[in-house]
Amino acid sequence: MQRMNYKLKVAAAAATFVLGTMPGHADNTIGQYVTLSGFGTLGEVHSDYRQADFTGEFLQPRGAGFSRSWSPTPDSDLGGQADLRIADGLTGVVQVISRDDEDGNFRPHVEWANIKYAFTPDLAVRVGRTLLPTYERSDSQNVGYALPWVRIPNEIRFSNSATHSDGVDVLYRVKTGAVIQDLQVQFGRTSEEFSGAVFHGKDLIVLSDTLQYGNTSVHLAYQTMIYTYSVLPPARFRLASGGFTYDPGTWFVTGDSNYAHYDFFGDFFAWYLSAGMRFGRFTPYVVYSTEHAPTSAPPSGLTALGDERTVGAGVRWDFAKNIDFKLQLQRVNIETQDAPASFNNVQPGLRVGDKANVVSLTLDFVF
Amino acid sequence: MPRVPRIKASALCALVFAALAATEIRAEDIVVIVNPAAKAISKDQIADLYLGRSGGLTPIDQTAGSAIYAQFYKQATGRDVAQVKAIWSRILFTGRGLPPKQLPDSAAVKQAIAANPNAVGYIEKSAVDASVKVVLPLD
Repeated sequence: MQRMNYKLKVAAAAATFVLGTMPGHADNTIGQYVTLSGFGTLGEVHSDYRQADFTGEFLQPRGAGFSRSWSPTPDSDLGGQADLRIADGLTGVVQVISRDDEDGNFRPHVEWANIKYAFTPDLAVRVGRTLLPTYERSDSQNVGYALPWVRIPNEIRFSNSATHSDGVDVLYRVKTGAVIQDLQVQFGRTSEEFSGAVFHGKDLIVLSDTLQYGNTSVHLAYQTMIYTYSVLPPARFRLASGGFTYDPGTWFVTGDSNYAHYDFFGDFFAWYLSAGMRFGRFTPYVVYSTEHAPTSAPPSGLTALGDERTVGAGVRWDFAKNIDFKLQLQRVNIETQDAPASFNNVQPGLRVGDKANVVSLTLDFVF
Repeated sequence: MPRVPRIKASALCALVFAALAATEIRAEDIVVIVNPAAKAISKDQIADLYLGRSGGLTPIDQTAGSAIYAQFYKQATGRDVAQVKAIWSRILFTGRGLPPKQLPDSAAVKQAIAANPNAVGYIEKSAVDASVKVVLPLD
């Protein structure tokens, strides 16, 4: 009898402990104000091209190919986020991310940090740091689990030197019949370090419109700012972009494009087109992407910055809850000596017309 | 002697099938519900709401691991659980909003709907009572 009593007590204590620590039961305390979540990617990339390093974005100094045959740095990252409910209509978000950066290390930095006030469910103002809605997936480019591919095509990332803005933005949602439009106007400043110098952008204005009609979405954006880079005098940057996605659930097709102009560096035109099909837990896809600098001779003297085109195919496998595995094969045609969009650490042996075969493996997860 | 394991195996199969049947739920057994004071809502609006395309109303979810959750999203949005998670991950990690709150069962969903004129939810048809209004069968 005593034994049974003891067992019951232990069970009751255990149940109390388990229930008390379950997130769903923390509603009356801190869980009411703070929601914690996170995402990450574990990746390995192999490139058979030895005259440069294939990277996950143009800021990363090293990758796979020249420095090492396989590299985890292009795609691996880890992010943590706190969503705060401060008062009715007043919310905040802070996101910290660790990802290979321009210094070649994974030092965490603040990716998002803003306070949002919603005047109505359709009208809100945010103050603080946000990622720019420059192209269709620019504001979620590091969240591998949310992407159909291993990474956003490097070509579309290349011409977009600023990724975030510190400032103010207004979000307005308009419904016209079944069409929902998310309009965004952003004012701010930005700074980013690459190739050993700091890129400062001020008087940054971004106008963005995301239209959704059922399974179809269209994204349009225009961005302008005054930038300084290294010892260069202030110059203007302008970018226009247009993208679309059609995703009824069993298959998808998506594409994006942007045309960027830098006084001094010239013009950049990048686009991609991709399609995929879902077979249960498997989603095979193909993607074609290209970057091309149409300017003949910008003042910098650097022509054909970024030029390359890539054909890729891969598969996403949703093998367990909240985690996927992706395998992607790519062939990159290098079309410039100066700085092909996917590469860094370029060696003197690089020739226009060279080809790189790239294999990428990733595990993406959210929690 | 070899008969014994065979009987055991078939019994095990029957048990597994019974367990599967118990967790399965058909689309025609799910209904979308709102507060008795709320307006009607279309199937397209449901998909927009549960995929985070539109706000205004408060969608309420059942537990992500439940059979009713999987069947509801399949029928209302044409997407499986992993696709829904990917869509909400993008919304969440761009600071645009939190996914719908998940409640443990239909009784909890009904209670939340009865208390909030802006809430929308889904439950088994058999769980419907006067505290909520059915706006849409799912099939």
